[in-house]
Amino acid sequence: MMAIGQAHNRDSFLNNLAKNLGRERHYQVEKPNWNHNPQWEVLKDASQDELVEVLKKQCKLIHTEVHETNSSDLLPLIQQLVKESGGKSVVSWDDPRFSEFGLSGLSDELGREQVAVHVWDRNGGEENLSFSATADIGITFSDATLAESGTVVLYSDIGKGRAVSLLPVVYFAIIPKSTIVPRMTQVARDMHRKVENEELVPSCVNFISGPSNSADIEMNLIVGVHGPVKATYIIVEDK
Amino acid sequence: MKVSLFVTCLIDIFQTDVGLDTMELLERLGCEVDFPEKQTCCGQPAYNSGYVDKAKESMKHMINVFENADYVVTPSGSCGTMFREYPHIFKGDPVWEDRAKRLADKTYELTQFIVDVLGVEDVGAKLNATATYHTSCHMTRLLGVTEAPMKLLSNVAGLEMKSLPHNYNCCGFGGTFSVKMTAISEQMVDEKVQSVEETGADILIGADCGCLMNIGGRIDRQGKPIKVMHIASVLNSR
Amino acid sequence: MAMKIGNKPFKERVSDGIDDQFMRGAVSSAQGRFRSGRLNAAEELGNWEDWRKLGEEIRSHTIENLDFYLEQLSENVIKRGGHVFFAETAEEANDYITNVVKQKNGKKVVKSKSMVTEEINMNEALEKAGCEVIESDLGEWILQVDDHDPPSHIVTPALHKNKEQIRDVFRDKLGYDKTEKPEELALFAREKLREEFLQADIGITGCNFAIAESGTISLVTNEGNARMVTTIPKTQITVMGMERIVPTWEEMEVLVSLLTRAAVGQKLTSYITGLTGPKQEGEVDGPEEFHLVIVDNGRSKILGTAFQSILHCIRCAACINVCPVYRHVGGHSYGSIYPGPVGAVLSPLLGGYDEFKELPYASTLCAACTEACPVKIPLHEHLLRHRQEIVEKEGKAPVFENLSMKAFSLGTASPAMYNIGSKLAPTALGAFAKDDKISDGPGPLKNWTEIRDFPAPKKDRFRDLYKKRKKERGE
Repeated sequence: MMAIGQAHNRDSFLNNLAKNLGRERHYQVEKPNWNHNPQWEVLKDASQDELVEVLKKQCKLIHTEVHETNSSDLLPLIQQLVKESGGKSVVSWDDPRFSEFGLSGLSDELGREQVAVHVWDRNGGEENLSFSATADIGITFSDATLAESGTVVLYSDIGKGRAVSLLPVVYFAIIPKSTIVPRMTQVARDMHRKVENEELVPSCVNFISGPSNSADIEMNLIVGVHGPVKATYIIVEDK
Repeated sequence: MKVSLFVTCLIDIFQTDVGLDTMELLERLGCEVDFPEKQTCCGQPAYNSGYVDKAKESMKHMINVFENADYVVTPSGSCGTMFREYPHIFKGDPVWEDRAKRLADKTYELTQFIVDVLGVEDVGAKLNATATYHTSCHMTRLLGVTEAPMKLLSNVAGLEMKSLPHNYNCCGFGGTFSVKMTAISEQMVDEKVQSVEETGADILIGADCGCLMNIGGRIDRQGKPIKVMHIASVLNSR
Repeated sequence: MAMKIGNKPFKERVSDGIDDQFMRGAVSSAQGRFRSGRLNAAEELGNWEDWRKLGEEIRSHTIENLDFYLEQLSENVIKRGGHVFFAETAEEANDYITNVVKQKNGKKVVKSKSMVTEEINMNEALEKAGCEVIESDLGEWILQVDDHDPPSHIVTPALHKNKEQIRDVFRDKLGYDKTEKPEELALFAREKLREEFLQADIGITGCNFAIAESGTISLVTNEGNARMVTTIPKTQITVMGMERIVPTWEEMEVLVSLLTRAAVGQKLTSYITGLTGPKQEGEVDGPEEFHLVIVDNGRSKILGTAFQSILHCIRCAACINVCPVYRHVGGHSYGSIYPGPVGAVLSPLLGGYDEFKELPYASTLCAACTEACPVKIPLHEHLLRHRQEIVEKEGKAPVFENLSMKAFSLGTASPAMYNIGSKLAPTALGAFAKDDKISDGPGPLKNWTEIRDFPAPKKDRFRDLYKKRKKERGE
């Protein structure tokens, strides 16, 4: 059971705010229904196939390679992509979807090509991080995918380390087609519903759109600063 | 249609031709134009420098002057904007807010009046030249008059309009800014003059005398052969 | 570094800025790209005005109920095992942060970008306590390495530096031996900073938007540095300006969409991360301990005043990216870490008029900023309001100006006085006029005529001509 944290100086701080706002403290606030809701119009009636097209188009703009396949061809495709990248070490999530999508043989197949594979060890500690820090490729599934912005959404959990999509040089995201939604609006509503149902939101929700970049040097777009320098998405036909 | 001319202090003292052109133009378009002689200034110089209480005295005077007008038309985007600001400035005042609103509701900048109220886009003007048009900030962003000037200019016979690059850039006038922050104003007006030169136009046209005096004054100082004309004078050319 | 930058007087800062040709070219070019980025992104969405109105609604409601949402936020953070410290002053915030660092025996802190930590001078406080602080945002790191050169833009802080300057800084301070090619410079930064990330004890972040309903803090970057700072070190401290909060995830996603488009024309940045408390039971990476420091530092004084809407700001810099004054003088001229229109409004409010009284006047009130703001803050109106405060409430206007304005208003409130004044104009100024122009004018005209000609007043005013015309037409 999680220990409760502490709040310090709260009342004097907040009382001061209320005072300046010219009223007593508000303890009950009804969030209004907003008068404008344009976010729900984006890709409103798009079919799943249309969303895939939007996603693919956006990926071009964010320097992200994208492939489409189905479960039976997924393993060979990943092998091929690993080979093409020249990577010699792979770190991946400990996630049941790997076997659901026919990837239980991944470690063995890649091992045959002298590629070391480390699956996030839920009982491990630092080794997970140190492996990830020097790994060439990180592979995760996408928990939700945003078509409009070419974004994979990852929820941290036991077995689903944050570092896998962050530290390696290259990042592969396997995207089950059914996870694709128009934009962040849909995911935000899901989170909001979770909260209303008193479910725990993940400690880390990552919205990842392509590789890392910066325009801090003379406004030149440089790809790959702290996060992966290359990102590849693999859309998989699922139920 | 009865129109009361709000000529503005700048035009009254320095650009009298513009006042006459405005008057003639409106008469040509069938308006009966009067000039309430007690008018002075909209109060912008004091108001924009933060002297709100002092500016309010001039504003109240102007509200009085135009009380009985049907339409108030002014050849100045910024002065028109100022009148439209009056209700905001007198907000909460039991006496003046309503009166300010009545004035604001019947005040129009010249091109806005011709196109939106008179419904005219071709005033039958003629001027052989190439020109470019400066979109003044207050008129465009605050008064919202974005289409009227070009609609009218595009119908002036013999006038070839060139698009002004970076027209959204302020010319650096800003009223007292031009004398309080001269170093910065200089950079801004030079950038504007450069944009004007890039068009290759003979004439720079504008709808705000402050802007025109600023850009024109710099052009003259630099000895450049670009003429500066107020849109009223262009539209009154035959 | 605190909010204030340097000690030079305003005029000198402006002059330095105008003379810096590289900076001005860089700023102008950046503004061009940022502006088109924002406009293209807005056009692609299709109903940008509706988005702006929604942004305004959200910010307005939130700030009006700030006490409620901050309480809700803090409750949810502590439920997840995080600690929350409410800091009314910069000192309180720095004391708390320094204590946490000391408790953890922290020797090395990595930071992701946070304007509020610069405002409160946190780095200096930590360094005094014997802790090394490393900026991880590429722009901020470049500036830090260059002997703490202050930022000149709130989103791209090293805008004023060219790649040659950056190469020289890296070479002189860090032994860099490659070229000025941005890819090589960035690779060097990646390698150097990765070492720091892996060794850091403590990660300190800012906060783009805190989500009250779940106690979540969200971070928006392109580089991935905020993720590095919050994945590897064992302790995370997040410092937030108290106004950087939204009610639920649904408002967070709207504001993020507005932010990324208005700031850099992107649909989303590469990384947006929502962090809730320390890592959960069973998770391997992520911080073991989480502290949220909520900073007032003068913001509460703005509540309940006519300036309240400046607290709606989401720090996108869209206003900075369209400001013509900023384009010509650059960020350092403002003398504050918050430059441009938002800075000209906010700096006097947080830092006082004595330090920042010129800023509200360094504007033509062209309203490009108001037009660009994704949450519809009436920035130019606030600048005007400051002028009114300075002149009428604080009585800080220059004496001569005060008197001239008095004379002006007397003159324009009374037609009789106006008549006399305007009739005298040609006589008064006639001596200075040559060929209908004045090139070297007296008094207030002197500044004008330094760089421009001024038309000589006509012999007959319009109203005189009108009278004549009326007579001629027998009216």
